[in-house]
This record gives sequence, C-alpha cells and structure tokens, in this order.
Amino acid sequence: MKLSRIAIALTAVTLAAGAIAVAQAATDETIVTVVKVTGINWFNRMDDGVKEFAKSNPGVNAYQTGPGRADAAQQLKIIEDLIAKKVTAIAVVPYDPPTLEPALKKAMDRGIKVVTHEADNEKNTMVDIEAFDNTAYGAGLNERLAKCMGDQGKWAVLVGSLGSRSQVQWADGGIGNAKQKYPKMDLVEPKLETNNDGERAYQVAKEVLRKHPDLTGFQGSSSLDVIGIGRAVEEAGKVGKICVYGTGLPTEAGKFLESGAINGIAFWDPKLAGIAMNKVAKMLIDGKTVENGADLGIVGYNKVTVSKGPGKGIIVRGAGWVDVDKTNYKQYPF
Amino acid sequence: MNTSKWLADRQLNFLVAVNLLVVIVATALSHGQFVDIDNLQSMGSQLPELGLLALGIMLSMVSGNGGIDLSGVALANLSGMVAAQLLPMLVSADNSPSLYTAVFCAITVALGAAGGLMNGVIIARLKLTPILCTLGTSLLFTGIAVVLSNGASVRVEYVDALSNIGNGTFLQVPISLWIFVATVLLLGWVLKRTPFGLRLYLMGTNPKAAFYAGIPRDRMLILTYGMCGVLASLAGLISATHTSSAKWDYGNSYLLIAILIAVMGGVNPAGGYGRIVCVFLAATVLQFLSSLFNLLGVSQFFGDCAWGFLLLASLALAGGERVRAIFGLGGAAPISKVPKPPAA
Repeated sequence: MKLSRIAIALTAVTLAAGAIAVAQAATDETIVTVVKVTGINWFNRMDDGVKEFAKSNPGVNAYQTGPGRADAAQQLKIIEDLIAKKVTAIAVVPYDPPTLEPALKKAMDRGIKVVTHEADNEKNTMVDIEAFDNTAYGAGLNERLAKCMGDQGKWAVLVGSLGSRSQVQWADGGIGNAKQKYPKMDLVEPKLETNNDGERAYQVAKEVLRKHPDLTGFQGSSSLDVIGIGRAVEEAGKVGKICVYGTGLPTEAGKFLESGAINGIAFWDPKLAGIAMNKVAKMLIDGKTVENGADLGIVGYNKVTVSKGPGKGIIVRGAGWVDVDKTNYKQYPF
Repeated sequence: MNTSKWLADRQLNFLVAVNLLVVIVATALSHGQFVDIDNLQSMGSQLPELGLLALGIMLSMVSGNGGIDLSGVALANLSGMVAAQLLPMLVSADNSPSLYTAVFCAITVALGAAGGLMNGVIIARLKLTPILCTLGTSLLFTGIAVVLSNGASVRVEYVDALSNIGNGTFLQVPISLWIFVATVLLLGWVLKRTPFGLRLYLMGTNPKAAFYAGIPRDRMLILTYGMCGVLASLAGLISATHTSSAKWDYGNSYLLIAILIAVMGGVNPAGGYGRIVCVFLAATVLQFLSSLFNLLGVSQFFGDCAWGFLLLASLALAGGERVRAIFGLGGAAPISKVPKPPAA
C-alpha cells in the first residue's frame, strides 16, 4: 500500500518534471554558435558579437561554445550533443567542413536550423555566410591604393601562397580592378609569393624595391605581407613615398600604421560575422529566408548577395570587411 | 592475493560510484534531458572511437617494459583514409553496396593489423623503446596520410550499410556501440581466460621471470601491438563511417585523452595490471561528463578541469602503491598484484 503510494508519487513527480522540461524546450529558442576553437582572440571577438545579439534579443537564448583544442573530432562531439539537446538552431564555423556533413544532415533532419560560416563547400547547411566576395575585397583594397598613388605609378602585388584560393582571388580582384579603371597604374610584379612568412615578405619587398626604385605602391594579401613590406619601406627610408595596403590584423600592423610605413589595412570582423550568423538563424526560425539584396542591419551586411550553395542551401555574401588606417585601428583589439 | 583483489575492487567501486553519481546529478541538472533516448544514443555513438583507442593504450601498457602505443590515432586515420581512396578503384559503390561495405571494413582492419605488427616487430626485434618506436611510426602514418590526401579530407562514398556502422542503430543502440561492447567482451575473455592473457600479464609484471618461464617475448610483443593496431583501425572505421570522411588530423586531441582513460581505469603504466571493465567505466564517465557540460552549455575548459580532478581522485583512492608505480618508484609494488596462475 505504502509502496504503491510512493510509486505513484514518484511517477507524478517524474511526469511533472518531464512536462516542465518539455514546456521549457518548447518556449525557449536556443541558438548555439559553435566555433573552431575557444580561447583565441579571433573567436573571443566573435563571442562579443554573439553576446551582443543575445542582449538585443531577450527571447532567445544565444551563446557560443567550441572545443578547447583545435580538433575536428571535438567539434563534432559538441554538435552531436547539441542535436541531442534539441537546440533550435546551430550556427557553426566548421573546422573541416566535410567532417561535419553527416552530423549537420542529422540536425536538419530533426528540424534544427543550420547556419555555417566560412564554409562555402558545406553541402548540408541551410545558409552559409561569407563575410564578403573575395574579388570585391581585393578590388576594395586596390581602390584605396589607387587613391593613395594618385591613379598612377608602378606597383606590385604579394601573396602569401599561390595555393591559397582566397588569397589569389584577392590579388586577382585587385589586379583586375586596376586594369579596368586605372590604365596609368603599371603592375610591375604580379603575385610574388611570400610563403605566409613575415621574414620572407620583407626579403621579397626589399628585392622589389631594389629592382624598381621608382615603385610607389604595394598590395599585400596574407596578413604578414604588409608587415614585411612595412619593414622594408621603413628601412629604405621611403615612408610616405610608397603606398602600402593589404590584409592585416590591427594588433600586428599597429606599429607600422603609426609610423606611416603601412597606409591602411583591411580585415573582416568576427564580431559582425557572429551577429550575422545569429540573425540569419533567427530569421530561419521565424520561417523567413534571406533574399538577394536584403539588409541584415549589420555593418557590411547591408546589401547581401545570395547565390546557390553546393547543396540545397544558399550562400549569403556580405561586403563585411573593415577598412582601417592610422586613425581608427585601435578600435579593434585583435 | 587477497589485498590485490581488494585493491582492484576499490578502483572498480570508485568508478561505478562516480558513474552513478554523474548520471544522477546530470539527470537532475538537465531536467531529465540527460537520460532522453536521443542523448543516450548520441553519447553511445561518441563513446566507441575513444574507448577503442583507450583499449589499445591499455594493452600496450599491460605488456610492460614501458609499453605504450602512441600511434593509435594516426593509424586510425590512415587506415580509414586508404580504404576510402583505394575502394572506388576496386568495387563500385552503386552496384554492390554490401560488397563495398565488407571490403571497406576488410581493408581498414588489415591496414590496422599491418601497422600494429610493424610496431611490434620494431619493438621486439630491433629492441626499440615502445614510446620512441610508436612516436616514430605515428609521425610516419600521419605523414603518409598527409601525402595521400594533400592535407585535405578524403570523402567516403556514401553507402547505406557503410554509413550505418557509424550512424545507424540496432535495437535503439548505436551499431558502433555494439562493436565497442563486443570488442570489450572479446578482449576481456582473451585477457582473462586464454594462455595469451595470462602470459601477457606475467610478462608485464616481471619480464625476467617470464623469460625463464619460457614465454616467447618477441611473439607476445608482436601479437600485442598487432592487436593494438586492429583496435586503432576499428576506431578509424567508426570515425570514417561516422563522418563520411577521413582526415589526417582528425582526433588529434584523442591520444592524451585515451591515455587518461587508461590510467583512470587503473591500468598500471609500468605493466602487468589493468582491468578491462575499469577502462570501460573510465571511458563512460568521461563521456557522461563531457556530454553533460555540453548540455548545460558549460565551457569545455571546465570539462578538462573536471577530468583532471577525477584522475587525481582516482589516484588518491587507489592508494599509494599505484601512485608510486606511476611515478616509477618502488618497482616491487606491482608484483603483489599479479593474478597468479591457478596452482596446477
């Protein structure tokens, strides 16, 4: 008698707890951002964006997580746990896109919204967000370089590695832009390789300066290119006479921006990418989709380009790079 | 004999208690979501890769003489990758899916065995220290995998039966977990009931005595490391089918975790002692903890911290003897733990 009463009570409690859990799951929209690895500057900056999104969307429980070690296997485990947790949406920056295909397919089969970033070869995603179109980014850098050079003079392009698809696209974007718009700009050295090494970039830049003493412009691709060029320009005593633009990180390039050896750098802000991923995830939850030319309300994502992805999903490209020079690089602490 | 049994049970008791405690706390904290069928399946399918690698570490440690197999993860990736690249040339996935699956498994396991036997031969015949030999072969396997794939991940052609190995379920239990449990049972039987197992423990405890007892050291070592290789390739088979791809750096953080599991499972790194059930329970508790932290959205670094704490707690509970053995002090200690051969 007593036992059965206890059993009934226990069952009731379990049912109640279960009901509460289900009710909670139903009302709470959870968007989880999974990054490649936690604890590095780049993804800490992205976390700022996720937190900002969570703050401005009180109805949504949004947070960022990621493996403590850079390992595709660890990232996969986290995603599987999130699928079991039945979150509403997963926004992921894949460590290795192919590794996640089955897991993301499983997530989508179970009705979880999937958004990816920097993975334009991921098949099982609903929306992949790219910060920008690589060609447009290279052209943007070139536009600033041309302005600095007064639309004329000899210039050279450096790339970290010819094997890097994005870097070559940036370089070609810049070269194409100059060819089309500025016939007086004379490209004397197209795509010199620097092996993604600051020291090598410095050597290459020095050689270029020796060969072409009247050179007035450099465009770098790898984030270390501008550092090497900046050193070579400083050493040659040509600060202010040669225009230097390229991809760079504010913390690394700051010294040369101050001295004027580097005129300006560009990069994309992971914080904005974090906000963009979460916003798109929220749109998917609300049953909306991203249209070509849509405004996501984030700097650099005001007029996005939508194209078809490798799978059923779409690729959303912003113009989300940030142009930075001496005056404003301190705003970006990474 | 009595004390050794009591000690062993203490490790087992500790692990059973921790497992239960974690499950209960996790269920309470997650409002029952932890024991939800989806989460149980998810944990079950995550467990085998690491568990199989930990079994390999255990086997090599038990064999003594500083035995350890550091090449497990590299061999797992390499065997899965070679199978994925070789197979489309041999069998058509569309025409004969079951043959495709069978050959995939065969190639993977055969490569694992070959890699493991190579380790064994180097250690036994060339008398190289296991840690140096397997570190070397680990770099070799990784290097071959990088060259074969140019550093990119290799796609495994999608076949239902093959994908099921890593993603399917049988009776609601993930197939990969069935494979793992079957391996645990088989290996447990081999270690406990066969002459091979008895000799392995004896050799790990006291190589000299084993030599005079006529145990063929070289053959034992080659066989043991061969088995480690097969275990690694099973892990590779599961990860390749689970992710439909193979990459040279997949699971690069697994090696240390596998060693952690083995040590937490009470395996004596100095050789001669290790219970398979304890290793299994150590693997489950780590999986429970990591899934719990993900469910709760707690930082992964906190997970590492909790694992470290558990390892220290297990060492403290296991008593001073094991701690001394781990740090290489008091070499005589392990002898008291020999499972003695039944008196003839």
